[in-house]
Amino acid sequence: MKLRHPFSRAIYESQEDGLVRVEEEGGRVGLFHLDGRWHSGELRDADPHLIGWVGGPQLGGRTATNRIPAMPGAATTPPRPTTTVPKPPTPAAGADPNRRTTSMDLGLRGRKAIVTAATRGIGLAIARLLADEGVDLALCARGAAGLEAARKELEARGVRVFTKALDVGDGDALRGFVREAAEALGGLDLLVCNASGGAGMGEKAWQANFDVDVLHSVRAVEAALPSLTSSDAASVVFISSTAALEYLGVPQAYNAMKAALIAHANDLSQALAPKGVRVNVVSPGPIYFDGGNWEMIKKAMPAIYERALGQCALGRMGTPEEVARSVVFLASPAASYVTGANLVVDGGFTKRVAY
Amino acid sequence: MTSAASTTAEARSPGLSYQQLLETDTRPVPDVLRWQARAEIPVVQVPIERYTARAFHDLEVEKLWRKVWQMACREEEIPEVGDHVVYEIADDSLIVMRSAPGEIRAYHNVCLHRGRMLRDCDGRAEELRCPFHGWTWSLDGALKRIPAQWDFPHVERERFHLPEAKVGTWGGFVFVNLDPACAPLADHLGELPRHFEAWPLEQRYKEVHVAKRLPCNWKVAQEAFMEAYHVGGTHPQLLPGIGDVNSQYDVWGNFSRAITANMTPSPLLQAAPSEQEMLDSMLSRSLDEEPMLRVPEGMTARQTLAMTSRLQLQASVASVNDVSDAELADSFYYTVFPNFHPWGAYNRIVYRFRPAGSDPDRCIMEVMYLAPFRGRRPKPAPVHWLGDDDDWTQAPELGFLARVFNQDTFNLGRVQRGLHAARHSHVTFARYQETKIRHFHALLEAQLAR
Repeated sequence: MKLRHPFSRAIYESQEDGLVRVEEEGGRVGLFHLDGRWHSGELRDADPHLIGWVGGPQLGGRTATNRIPAMPGAATTPPRPTTTVPKPPTPAAGADPNRRTTSMDLGLRGRKAIVTAATRGIGLAIARLLADEGVDLALCARGAAGLEAARKELEARGVRVFTKALDVGDGDALRGFVREAAEALGGLDLLVCNASGGAGMGEKAWQANFDVDVLHSVRAVEAALPSLTSSDAASVVFISSTAALEYLGVPQAYNAMKAALIAHANDLSQALAPKGVRVNVVSPGPIYFDGGNWEMIKKAMPAIYERALGQCALGRMGTPEEVARSVVFLASPAASYVTGANLVVDGGFTKRVAY
Repeated sequence: MTSAASTTAEARSPGLSYQQLLETDTRPVPDVLRWQARAEIPVVQVPIERYTARAFHDLEVEKLWRKVWQMACREEEIPEVGDHVVYEIADDSLIVMRSAPGEIRAYHNVCLHRGRMLRDCDGRAEELRCPFHGWTWSLDGALKRIPAQWDFPHVERERFHLPEAKVGTWGGFVFVNLDPACAPLADHLGELPRHFEAWPLEQRYKEVHVAKRLPCNWKVAQEAFMEAYHVGGTHPQLLPGIGDVNSQYDVWGNFSRAITANMTPSPLLQAAPSEQEMLDSMLSRSLDEEPMLRVPEGMTARQTLAMTSRLQLQASVASVNDVSDAELADSFYYTVFPNFHPWGAYNRIVYRFRPAGSDPDRCIMEVMYLAPFRGRRPKPAPVHWLGDDDDWTQAPELGFLARVFNQDTFNLGRVQRGLHAARHSHVTFARYQETKIRHFHALLEAQLAR
């Protein structure tokens, strides 16, 4: 939004990063926080009311679709998706203060979430989107450096972020993290189990996929349950995969363990429903991002990459942000009547009829 | 009706007066918009402790809240026998109950046994049963049942009738008065019903109801909504299309009225905005956006807005084609002493401000929209409570006003903070533009001196 101040004639304009830019007619420019505090630039004083007006949340501006940050790395992603983000609803007309907007509030503001393996790819996209919705976060991953970078970035979005470096395959470490996270955030509403042992062959892979994909999800729910049951909007989302749904060309532990996860989520959705905890699964198809598996496959095994790409009915691979939007919806109170679902986000990659 | 005994000594904005603006209307203007009334109000300053001191709050409880008529709820919220609203004012609590068809009573919400609140929240009840030991009253307030009755030979039923507050109704609102010896509601309202004859509020339904606690005294909050003088400072984006400092203020008995014209430029502006700029400012169009609505050739922004409003109201207001531009474009904001703010014409807004418990630094602000309807009465909206840290846009049903309220609220906590930090002793009001606030304080002083 961009307006001219009726007295000073300065131009006030909201910026992508949530700041407001003020430019005087004489050319001096300043950037300001929404509460009127100076951020940077030569111009150090401006009208806080107009800053708030221009930069404040637009009506409907809290819906997920309107607040997706620009996708980092998207420009270098080969099959760049044409934007699928619907336009935000037009702000209500002034003539009729009664006019309702069509926005859907996810009801996430002020909630608290754990996301495992949240420093890259889908996990990071989920964390970013939750932060944009005003959710305080607890994140874990193996690498401390990646966690620190994620924490800095997410805190800049105005939420609290608790991090801990650990191997989620280590049960004691994981349980400790969940406990400390709930303590640090002062409660817990959402749990997203995103960590995976990855693809691989042989018994080592079976053990890794069992420990990480399956057991970490089982343990995280067990450890989080005392906190979740005190929430009025408790919800768990497991990240599975379309590899669990259709034959992919090679028998792998990953596929079977991701299938186990779906079955276990269904069990939990029934068992925990009386306690007010919803449990759902999101199964992504091929998701491409820099440093992700498909980038590697594209370079190392172009034939497999091309075949998978050809299988995507939408003609492109997905982005982590597209998965994150489904996860955040299912995790949010907006999906309050959805439990036991397995939402497949694959651009038409799988061909079965999903009854 | 008393009319313009305009005290010529008073200075006014050099801008167009509201009465002059009415001459440009494309439809006949109802008389109520022509009525003017001035009163000599000596108050121009009030002591800061009025907003900050616990002792003053206690005085208000004793002399104001326990003595004055106040709006408790809408009749439409309690349509069936047994329906009730729990109305809380400072530390008092009332059950406002549809006790029989066509009858509303208000009971003090306290069990006469050990003092538990009888009802925790709004709802419907067949009898009033205390959740603690089970003492039960019928809907007419008579003591009905005491478990283990043999243990209370000393309780005479007729002396254990639930104490009641007085109840009155007007405009679809239920009013209560905690003073059993009070004068009737009609005396309190005076000429107010005549002002709303053209816009019968009983024929509206409560489409929106949003409530939020604010970190300021209830008077600090409501006084931010009783004048247009703050628009230039607080809502600068509205200036191209609002007659702020040339608003009109009048007082009658226990109520006052401000009229602020829209789609007319602020006299504070140096350059006259175009008709399109006036409309864009009200519709909050960004400089890099196409206008949402274009002012057609040969029409003014005011006429364009009125025309659009007529289209929008067609489904709910039968004779909307005869409604004046003024009633569709302008803001008519009444204040009925002490805290009830119904807006006239088609603005639909109603505000109410109350202390939150016994803390002079906290209050509850409520916004309702009363929408016209045709046919079957729609269900009234339940109260949407915002959290203390939520901003108004968390209630999207408020529409574009949510963002305007954010600008107002941005000031309020800082006003309260400033009042505590002040080294000067009084706040000072404008002679004309803060007429409504001065009138309120004159009434408050009289009420507290009783």
